Amino acid sequence: MITVREQLHAWKRVIFALFLRELQSKFNDKFGLSWAFVEPFVFVFVLSFARSFVSGGDVHSIPLFVFMMIGLMGLQSFLTGMGAVSNSIKKNKPLYAFRQVHPISAVLTSGLLEFTIKLGVLVLMALALFLLHQTFAIANPLLLITIYLSLWILTISVGMLFAIAASFVAEVDKVKAMLQRPLLFISCVFFSLQDIPEQYWHWFTWNPLVHAIELARYACFETYGNNGVSLNYLIGVTIVTLFFSLAAYHITWKRLLAR
Amino acid sequence: MIRISNLTKSYPSQLGPQYIFRDLNFDFPTENNVAILGKNGAGKSTLFRMLAKSEYPDRGRIITNRSMSWPVALQTGIHPQMTGRENTRFIGRINNVKSLRQYEKRVQEFAELGGKFDLPVKNYSSGMRAKLVFACCMNIDFDIYLIDEATSVGDPTFRRKAKLALAEKAKSAGVIMVSHELDQIREFCHSAVLIENGQLHYYPDLEEGIKVYMAD
Repeated sequence: MITVREQLHAWKRVIFALFLRELQSKFNDKFGLSWAFVEPFVFVFVLSFARSFVSGGDVHSIPLFVFMMIGLMGLQSFLTGMGAVSNSIKKNKPLYAFRQVHPISAVLTSGLLEFTIKLGVLVLMALALFLLHQTFAIANPLLLITIYLSLWILTISVGMLFAIAASFVAEVDKVKAMLQRPLLFISCVFFSLQDIPEQYWHWFTWNPLVHAIELARYACFETYGNNGVSLNYLIGVTIVTLFFSLAAYHITWKRLLAR
Repeated sequence: MIRISNLTKSYPSQLGPQYIFRDLNFDFPTENNVAILGKNGAGKSTLFRMLAKSEYPDRGRIITNRSMSWPVALQTGIHPQMTGRENTRFIGRINNVKSLRQYEKRVQEFAELGGKFDLPVKNYSSGMRAKLVFACCMNIDFDIYLIDEATSVGDPTFRRKAKLALAEKAKSAGVIMVSHELDQIREFCHSAVLIENGQLHYYPDLEEGIKVYMAD
């Protein structure tokens, strides 16, 4: 009989092996691993910097540069994380010949890898803020951590749902690309929910990303306020999505192997 | 022995599910080296992959207390961008070998790749790849080795070596093999399982099995 302990060990081993494999194979061009950190950093940094250069100042008591950075970082984490996770099941298909490797190992590995990369990007961001003399004290670090972890669980769950759906209906990938496009404009990246008249909020607040991004700003600067967004909603959506993705996985994983 | 009980396996298609096996019951012998014979589309590879648990049946179970290798085919688990050594280490890791370093060394020796072991696999010829995959498999101790035409591309020297290694393993382990090349099957196997119309038949004598297979 295999104990839970042995099972967990086996999982750890497989995910570790896959993790190293991803690292080795993903970045074996000239830039190597550094590109993974530099590219999203440059994207977020340049966009935020350009925006604050055009019209500096504060947005609802937050420096514009930091305001943009939080928004872009949140959105970027979601989009690239979900993209990577939703391709992972198909990408690792040849490896399912090994009975130890299950599709969910691939999902967890790519989620973990993207998460690690984003943590690296966050460190680069902090460094950039320090060098630009824009440092600030995070008002509520625990809240910020909770939000970010919740956002990642949501990202991996949504990615897994798309990955499972795409294994059965290939066209899902096209729909996914289309759905992603408006996210940049409706997730309160460039503006605050406070800038929108209150009677239109319900057009935006269905989106858990709005909650994550606005709450992250609130967690950094208490004076920003948290009108219209709630942590409970973000966590609720995360749990429901996680449940559905795991349920979908549970009923389909054996068929996913043959796809 | 591998027990197959009430196994049903189908593939979805535009014409509805295509059944390969329906309520199959069979005791798959593993005492000596067995070849799986059957026409194209009879379900050789499917059965093979199900034995390895790379794929699962719709209904029914495959029960065994033997440890089985992964289905050793040309491409399984080999990443073309990674070097032979990195690929070896990956396979060693997920199969939980005791000492990666020793495993790596034994594979390098067995595969006769020399310095090319540290080149990306995309630079290998197909024969070299086959050697690498085969070496990776043979250097892990399993009870049953599942081999899918992997050795057919090797040169004669390597084939002799593979045969010796398999013969050595056969003292403590069995081999199940899928191949279209009868020469190769004669070289490695002693008995046969023939797949016909979704049913399995065991022939303790390989030649007898081949005769029935050719007669169809």
